[in-house]
Amino acid sequence: MKRLSLIAIFVLSSFTLHAQHNHGADATLKAGEISGHSLYHLDADFTDQRNKSLKLSSFKGQPVIVVMFYGNCTQVCPILIRDTWRLYNAVDEILRPSVKVLAVSFDTENDTPEVLKAYAEYEQLNIDGWHFATSEPTNVRSLAMMLGVQYAKKSDGEFAHSNLVSVLDTEGKIAKRIEGLNQPMEEAAHHIEQMLTKNVEQ
Amino acid sequence: MKPWLKYLLAVMVLATTIPSRAQSDRVFVPAGSFHSVLPEIKGEPNKVDAFYLDVTAVTNEEFVDFVTENKEWRRSEVPSIFANDSYLDHWKSDLDPGIEETGAQRPVTRISWYSANAYCSAAGGRLPTLNEWEYSAQLLKFESPEEMNEFSKELIGWYSRVNANFIGAVGSTDIETAYGVKDQFGLVMEWVENFKPIIANDLSLDCGTVGRLQKLGNIYSYAASIRFITRMSFSPESTTGMLGFRCAYDVETKDTTKNSL
Repeated sequence: MKRLSLIAIFVLSSFTLHAQHNHGADATLKAGEISGHSLYHLDADFTDQRNKSLKLSSFKGQPVIVVMFYGNCTQVCPILIRDTWRLYNAVDEILRPSVKVLAVSFDTENDTPEVLKAYAEYEQLNIDGWHFATSEPTNVRSLAMMLGVQYAKKSDGEFAHSNLVSVLDTEGKIAKRIEGLNQPMEEAAHHIEQMLTKNVEQ
Repeated sequence: MKPWLKYLLAVMVLATTIPSRAQSDRVFVPAGSFHSVLPEIKGEPNKVDAFYLDVTAVTNEEFVDFVTENKEWRRSEVPSIFANDSYLDHWKSDLDPGIEETGAQRPVTRISWYSANAYCSAAGGRLPTLNEWEYSAQLLKFESPEEMNEFSKELIGWYSRVNANFIGAVGSTDIETAYGVKDQFGLVMEWVENFKPIIANDLSLDCGTVGRLQKLGNIYSYAASIRFITRMSFSPESTTGMLGFRCAYDVETKDTTKNSL
């Protein structure tokens, strides 16, 4: 076992040596340029429950709540979607209509725009600003990687997945991550309010 | 826009984004199952559908073609969210991998998960899933138990002495599966689509991790455990000198392509 741990340490250390980020690059951004850490760099087309095409950059200038789920999920996902609603609903009533929500399905095979529409209607969330969306499998996986969501399809067709609600700021960078189910939402809601108020002032 | 013009433009776009990797560079891997260190159901093998897999890892030469056509993936252009600072930093410049120093047909390394994923998408494929890669890796053929033991010993040695500054050419390991997939051991580690399995959140990266991972009790288990815990230490923007990739393709994709020829 000792040899095992030594080798593991060697392998791990050799891999992490280069895993340093350059956080200085953003300081020199010119107007109109996208921050190096912005999710807008994912130039992928998503299609929502209204059959409308959208990109992450469609939300430019606005905060957006992002969650990943799948429609056939009857146990955890309704709680995850309800959590997303709790965050949305915790935002001040006057500002709430400006809040956008993007819920992307892992289940690219089954969750067509039509299925997503039925899902949104069933959850009573087929409302303005809410987008239940699908895309190509590699785009969905890329978005999950950027958010830090893990998921895997199991042989019974269900997905094992992490439960995460994220908030992107007005430039598409991750502003808040709420991990796990049934978490308090006040802090994240306040953060969204601040971003929206700042937008109004400008 | 006229329909024929749309069609022409579509063809042109396709033609410029597909790298030079040919269909003959991939092989068919039939459906099957394998014992994983992370079984879906404890004690049961994980099932895998049939797929196509590249015979070898993608080379520097092939990756140059890709970044030539896809400017956003060049070293000077790639945003920090998609790759760490050391992305392709062993290359001489944006479009010069310095073949005369590294040697020809070396697997491309210091590429992030995002760039590997983009390459495979442009090639009409995708990264192999964790289960596909591990399943294929267990399809080696051995003539005798002695040969199997010898391989097992060499494998353990390999994971502890990879030299990122001196990597052999693709196809040079003489390690080949029954279906013709080469170098899954002995050359570089490789990206897979879901390199951080869902269980990773509950596991810590220590010696005990391997102990908790199910022991396969065969020649692959030790090396597989090392790969699993190593992968857990990656981030999708990681770019290291011993991490490359190859692409996989859905069976339908291949058939469609065949019919259109």
